[in-house]
Amino acid sequence: MNFKKQFSDGLLHKNPVFVQLLGMCSTLAITTSLFNGIGMGVAVTVITICSNVLISALRKVIPNQIRIAAYITIIAGFVTVVDLLLKAFIPALSESLGVFIPLIVVNCMVLGRAEAFASKNGVLASAVDGLCQGIGYTVALIVVCVVREFLGSGTFGGGLLNGGEGIRILPEGVPAMQMVMPVGGFLALGCVIAGFQYMMRKMENARKDKEAAK
Amino acid sequence: MKTQNTALYVLRLALTLFAITAVVAAALAGVNSLTAPVIEALNAEKTQQAIETVLPGGFEEVLTDFDDQGGLVSKVYKGAAGYALEVLPSGFDNTITMMVGVDFEGKVLGISVVSHSETAGLGAVSAADTAAGRAFRGQFVGAGGSLAVSKDGGAIEAITGATITSRAVCAGVNAALACVAGLE
Amino acid sequence: MEAILGIIIAALLSQNFILVKFYGICPFMGVSKKIDTALGMGMAVTFVMALASAACYAVNLLLVKLNVTYMQTVAFILVIASIVQVVEMFLKKAVPALYKALGVFLPLITTNCAVLGVVLVNVQNGYSFLISVINGAAGGLGFTLAIVLFASLRERVDKADCPECFKGYPLALIAAGFLALAFMGFSGLSIF
Repeated sequence: MNFKKQFSDGLLHKNPVFVQLLGMCSTLAITTSLFNGIGMGVAVTVITICSNVLISALRKVIPNQIRIAAYITIIAGFVTVVDLLLKAFIPALSESLGVFIPLIVVNCMVLGRAEAFASKNGVLASAVDGLCQGIGYTVALIVVCVVREFLGSGTFGGGLLNGGEGIRILPEGVPAMQMVMPVGGFLALGCVIAGFQYMMRKMENARKDKEAAK
Repeated sequence: MKTQNTALYVLRLALTLFAITAVVAAALAGVNSLTAPVIEALNAEKTQQAIETVLPGGFEEVLTDFDDQGGLVSKVYKGAAGYALEVLPSGFDNTITMMVGVDFEGKVLGISVVSHSETAGLGAVSAADTAAGRAFRGQFVGAGGSLAVSKDGGAIEAITGATITSRAVCAGVNAALACVAGLE
Repeated sequence: MEAILGIIIAALLSQNFILVKFYGICPFMGVSKKIDTALGMGMAVTFVMALASAACYAVNLLLVKLNVTYMQTVAFILVIASIVQVVEMFLKKAVPALYKALGVFLPLITTNCAVLGVVLVNVQNGYSFLISVINGAAGGLGFTLAIVLFASLRERVDKADCPECFKGYPLALIAAGFLALAFMGFSGLSIF
């Protein structure tokens, strides 16, 4: 397997959030502070790797008809483990993400990778795939978080830096509170994806120019 | 012959799924036995801390005989300085667990949010240990009677963008005050 | 009665499952290109949400009795998956016309977070059986309302002339943002 290609696919060409629009619920709901974004991203990455590995290992044992039910059971198991561990050891994160941790079960990205990749490939390749897609997901969440937090609360690194208050960039009163509300989630993600498409097109054009020059 | 094969196949499907579920359940039981005591200790510690925040000197006894009309008060602790009441108002998304300290004159000593699932940056401010959070909770200190947010004609300044959470906290404090009034 | 009305209004408007709580965004973005398919999806989701709320209420009683509440997520998702499967088989046999209309959407519902979301919210808030089912059905109707409104918006927006990089999902997301802005106006309606 080509590790480099998997990595650039996960991060750019097939980014789960920006290109495939998977796992939108958590992307929109919890991206209000950097702490949430990183926490959710890491949790989803760990779960995707674990479920990918196990599903890949069991891919020859699980009969085709019941594969979705089997995958969901396995994923739900890992999600519950992560949920319990977070509750016990990082309670602040568990409280902040709330019901969206158990909802990782229905994050289409995790099931999507199980169905599209792990059910057809070896254990190691599936682990790498989970890691790459997870990193792509985490980076996307962080970008949306930073944008929303800056516009909505005027801070950077909320919940993480400066004793949980975040570093203030805009003075109080300037930020538009709506950006951390549902409205802002849709608007910010729309603009971030537009920016991403713009960047990808630029890169594509630059690559074509280079080839033409040769 | 064919039907027997189908039956066998269905049996295999059921057994495989059952085996996976059983393994998952066993693994979860294992993890749960490890984390359950930690989570319980954590919750007990949080409750203890919340009581100490709102009731100077902590509590001496747990009262079991109290009259709660609103159905929000779950526990009453009595200390030298007054009472600490655990109340459970409904917030934006879920139940908020909060501790309200009330002195013997029926005035609020302080409030503390033990657990909640309000929106980060909005309703979550009510529990946050930040300037805005402390300012919001500080408004309740010394208050008595019945409280409401300014939108509803009261004196409590709601958290920006989180009127529902602010209303819930007011409802919790009111329930605690009403309950204490019935204790004397 | 007042409490029931409050829950219905909250689930439909002021705390709409999609536009305020962010549940079920995947089908919201995926199946909203045409009004009639959006309506079909909404009906199917409403049906499954009400049914799942009822079934999971019973399952949760059992889990609490056995003192294994940590199995909630696993149990609920299995219940939802089986309900979806049973509904699909039942409709295929009993009401072929309805199956034809909803059939394609049924498998998608398992991974709709609105369904698992409403079940988890019901359990965490300790709602009674009746309130759970009402919350499920009203939440599903709220989902239908949002997705149908959004589909009718989108049929126009997709034809709009806009900068190249905004074509497709970005513009749809921004349109959804404005719809959410409109729904924010309902936030004062909450009955508590």
